[in-house]
Amino acid sequence: MSKKIVAVTACPTGIAHTYMAAENLSIAAKELGIDIKVETQGSVGIENKLSEEDIKQADAVIIAAATKVDRSRFQGKPVLEVPVEQAIKDAKSLIEKALKMEKPAGYVEKIEEIHKDRAASRTGAYKHLMTGVSYMIPFVVAGGILIAISFAFGINAFQNQGTLPAALMQIGGGSAFALMIPILSGFIAYSIADKPGLVPGMVGGMLAVSTGAGFLGGIISGFLAGYTVDFLKKSIKLPRTLEGIMPVLVLPVLSCLIVGLLMIYVIGTPIKSIMTVLTNWLAGMSKANAVLLGLILGLMMAFDMGGPVNKAAYTFATGLLASEIYAPMAAVMAAGMTPPLGLALATLIARDRFTEDEIEAGKAAWVLGISFITEGAIPFAAADPLRVIPSIMAGSAVTGALSMLFGATLRVPHGGIFVLPIPNAVGNLPMYVVSIIGGTVVTALMVTALKKKVAK
Amino acid sequence: MRIRDILNKDCIDLNLKSTDKESVIKELISLLVNRGLIADKEEFFHAVWEREKTYTTGIGMGIAIPHGKSKSVKRAAVAFGKSERGIDFDSLDGKPAHLFFLIAVPEESHDLHLELISTLSRKLMHEEVRRALNEADTQEKVLEALSVDVRVN
Repeated sequence: MSKKIVAVTACPTGIAHTYMAAENLSIAAKELGIDIKVETQGSVGIENKLSEEDIKQADAVIIAAATKVDRSRFQGKPVLEVPVEQAIKDAKSLIEKALKMEKPAGYVEKIEEIHKDRAASRTGAYKHLMTGVSYMIPFVVAGGILIAISFAFGINAFQNQGTLPAALMQIGGGSAFALMIPILSGFIAYSIADKPGLVPGMVGGMLAVSTGAGFLGGIISGFLAGYTVDFLKKSIKLPRTLEGIMPVLVLPVLSCLIVGLLMIYVIGTPIKSIMTVLTNWLAGMSKANAVLLGLILGLMMAFDMGGPVNKAAYTFATGLLASEIYAPMAAVMAAGMTPPLGLALATLIARDRFTEDEIEAGKAAWVLGISFITEGAIPFAAADPLRVIPSIMAGSAVTGALSMLFGATLRVPHGGIFVLPIPNAVGNLPMYVVSIIGGTVVTALMVTALKKKVAK
Repeated sequence: MRIRDILNKDCIDLNLKSTDKESVIKELISLLVNRGLIADKEEFFHAVWEREKTYTTGIGMGIAIPHGKSKSVKRAAVAFGKSERGIDFDSLDGKPAHLFFLIAVPEESHDLHLELISTLSRKLMHEEVRRALNEADTQEKVLEALSVDVRVN
């Protein structure tokens, strides 16, 4: 299929250049074997108007104009904008240049790319931890939602053996949730030492649960298992003929033994006391401390929008779900939703502070915000970091603090607004929604106050 | 409507005398003035000259298309002139212009005339049209060259 270009030509009087440029582009395109449609905005008015379909099919857009031509309808297309004379002088190289242009990444694609780039650029311990967390999340989501549904039958309904609520609790709580820390630990080790790391990692994770070392213990056992396997692989040298037994016999047995013993005799007990202190503190926290914690988690969530600081807060809150502490999770998810939501709201109330592209992106930011994809704020922050980042941090801090103040809880570590209708997934739902709206409004107002008007 | 409706035979001068940009525009304007198509030639010159100052209409390829929109223009019209030795017209390609189209458009003009002018402008982009114009040695041949249908789409 031949390439297709759409073009717009225009000039101040609209008498001659507009048409000469259009004709020249058509001639050049014909010579190059390229499909072209040229809209002329001249004295006769707009002729050969580009339809939405034309623009959709086009590989590139050329605007040859001495006047301002509205670019908004070419969103997401490579646009080459040149003075009208250029198309009269050398239309051929214009077309070639336009076709070589990179397609500007759309807003959602940009976010996806940032996601991927960030995952790819993670190194060392952070990368391993995030691998573990990413494998763990779906277990927690599935478990959390099923437990919540069980509660929908009555908070103690699961105690009646043989009933559906009991079954749901057995699936969600007894199985999916029970696997959470072993999976976290196992895939941290897997990230470090590949397949052989999985066995001691998961076993170590089970031990973290049974010794009461919780998610902190699970993180430690994961790293321990990974590095132990790495060490064993390097230090044990078997004769060639026996190499086959390394992955099936030697590595699993030795690594489980080492990791297991360390977990039981060395690591388990101190980590358990730390976890006990932590969970007791979190459970019995004063309102003032709760608000402070929410504030800090909120600041962390917005600070780097999905980066390491954000993930630290997120991992902390998710890990606590295993210890049946649900309030920080609520604060963290809410605070992670408000940055894109606040910016989306700002694009509505203060259009003059945003570029056309940003106003367009604002629409998608709503969706990313309600889906708890904090990264949705990045394109805005990248364009104007010193005004945007403080604004989203302020909004998220307010949301985090409010969520903690109202004692909102969340049993599911992801899903954004879509988990809110699930009965019992969220505790104190009305005030939770108020918290999210509060931070959204704070961010929007602050961005509006800080950002300068965009010259258009 | 055809090209003859905006380009009268009497407004074609195959041997322009002028040697500079300003005088060639005036020379072409006088062709239209003689046909009674322009009420105030000073006023119209001013419009063309102002237009020229925004950026040159010497579009290269030996062609210049000075044009102006003014209330002193009675109806849309074109004057054509040729200069064998060429005149410096601040062209985009830096080369002298040989073929001149002066386009006059009234403040409120008839769409059909404007369409003819846009068609004429388009035609100049075709090499065969330019060649025919360069070779034309009679007024009739100029009109013939401009009557060929060459539109690409």
